[in-house]
Amino acid sequence: MAVETERPAAPPERPVAAARPRPKREREEELLVWPDLVFVEFISAVLFTLTFMLLSVFINAPLLNRANTDITPNPSKAPWYFLNLQELLLHMDKAWAGVILPIMFLGFLAVIPYLDRSSEKQGVWFGTKYSARIALVAALYAIVVTWGLVLFDDGERSKFEYATRWIPSCDMNAESGQPEAHQFPPCLVDTAAGHQGIVRASVDLQGPPQGRFMFSVGSLDWPADVDHIPWPFNDNKVGCWSFKNIHGWCGEHFNLAGTFAQQIFPLSTIAFLTVLIIYILFRIGWVRTTRDVMIVMFTGALSAYLTLTIVMSFFRGPGQDLILPTDIKVDCGTLPSPPGCP
Amino acid sequence: MAVTEEPGKPRNWQERLQILQDRLYDRLFHNFVWRSIFRSGYPNTPRSQMLVVATNVFLHLHPTRIHRTHVKITHTYCLGGLTFFMFIVLTVTGVLLMFYYVPSTETAYQDIAALHTNVKFGLLMRNLHRWTAHAMVILVFLHMMRVFYTGAYKPPREFNWVVGVTLLFLTLFLSFTGYLLPWDQLAIWAITVGHGIAGSAPYLGDEGQFVLFGGFEIGQPALIRFYTLHVLALPLLAAIMMAVHFWRIRRDGGMARPL
Ligand code: HEM
Repeated sequence: MAVETERPAAPPERPVAAARPRPKREREEELLVWPDLVFVEFISAVLFTLTFMLLSVFINAPLLNRANTDITPNPSKAPWYFLNLQELLLHMDKAWAGVILPIMFLGFLAVIPYLDRSSEKQGVWFGTKYSARIALVAALYAIVVTWGLVLFDDGERSKFEYATRWIPSCDMNAESGQPEAHQFPPCLVDTAAGHQGIVRASVDLQGPPQGRFMFSVGSLDWPADVDHIPWPFNDNKVGCWSFKNIHGWCGEHFNLAGTFAQQIFPLSTIAFLTVLIIYILFRIGWVRTTRDVMIVMFTGALSAYLTLTIVMSFFRGPGQDLILPTDIKVDCGTLPSPPGCP
Repeated sequence: MAVTEEPGKPRNWQERLQILQDRLYDRLFHNFVWRSIFRSGYPNTPRSQMLVVATNVFLHLHPTRIHRTHVKITHTYCLGGLTFFMFIVLTVTGVLLMFYYVPSTETAYQDIAALHTNVKFGLLMRNLHRWTAHAMVILVFLHMMRVFYTGAYKPPREFNWVVGVTLLFLTLFLSFTGYLLPWDQLAIWAITVGHGIAGSAPYLGDEGQFVLFGGFEIGQPALIRFYTLHVLALPLLAAIMMAVHFWRIRRDGGMARPL
């Protein structure tokens, strides 16, 4: 137990030292784990046990009908902590939203301590000057910006795609040569048969787009062929290698439109908005150290994560359309049926 | 506080209470049954209290002494400890659920439905398992935020933070693998979303999907893989990482404090 001992009288030959209070020794600042800490742990464990017992008595875990691959629920949703990824999937390339960005997020978390090596003010909540307000601003900023982007990119086809309307998408309806209305933004890699090598087939499929500036380079027609520019070497041994299930670019085509709509626009928007807030906070003098930058990025990432989770959980109805939470229907598939069901 | 001296006549009610307390203490902690189990009375001196923490197999995860700021609830909000507690509750309820659950697409759904109707306390166990699993995911995030905003990842605790990140991943993955097991519409379609996400990985998508789901659609191979991961591989891995995590807290000199 920490016991206050009396300060010994200062020796007369060192009056300066006596003027300062003697710093407390480590030991005096320490408590015994038993009972002080064990007690707190015990109480919190008991409280949690009771709470969850009560919760489990009154609220049942959901159990819908037996799995049936023929009946697809609309919308079907991932577990709640992955809903943010599912929301991201609506706005950008699948590989980025589902795999690369999450890995980058975990990677970023893991390297935080190796980027921010300062050690002052550790072990205290919001120890450094401004850190609390930086966190607050970053959180609000991320929430507003994320909502803004979600609303901006909402609709039949994403706004990012509208921005690339000047180049045809690769989802062409074979008969009409028009983009298929229901189809989600263009694919990065054009796998259509007949697109092997330098493309010619597109002319039959689409006809020349009306009112667009057109020219041709080599055997490529612009902009009609912009969504399937062949990679170099994609039809010879150099590009067309394969090892087990892994393939080189064999007959693959680069989709400029898709790349813009699905990757370059969304990703550069995120990068730009991140840099923007850090720059603003830096200019007004709140962000001064690496620790501060980490606070902005960590807080912003978590807030965006949370916001996307909320959007997907409460604001997405059938067809993943944005709706109000009040319009989400009661699911009648649960056992026992919730009220309002036959 | 064992009563050794001859008690004089109590002068007021506080003294009476004190006497009552001492008698109770003797009865509870100095009887031969207690002694047979714990070999000593309730630890009531600093020395015996430190000894009990140092020598008890469960308590020795702790140091014997701890800085006073770390005992304040508002420093950690007990978040790491509660995450660990959720893990323990999940292990206990999970073992009970395993008694009734067979990971086959034929029977899995009936097994879970039977928990609701035929098994005594089956529904309670399932509910507890479900809600504490959600709680663990939330708590691990909150714990990470607590560590971040107290700057407790700074040297020398960098590596323990990295260990923590793997624990975060394991917690999410544990929860995700458990999601499929009831084999109901909620489970299979939620995992289908995850299936699609896994398949979209550049270059390794198909392979990764196949490794994780045992095929290109969700069926028996996926169920048995998720089951094995959920009840064996991932909890084991998580337990090991937690052991490392707790060990490192001690090795790094206890929890972070201003220098
Ligand atoms: C299953 C998950 C986890 C468990 C059971 C767990 C458990 C604990 C416990 C009991 C403590 C002691 C202090 C406290 O309660 O706050 C602690 C401290 C710590 N945890 Fe975790 N943790 C987990 C996940 C994480 C994660 C996700 C991170 C970070 C990404 C992390 C990083 C740390 C660090 C750096 C400390 C030292 C804090 C200090 O020195 O003040 N842990 N953990």
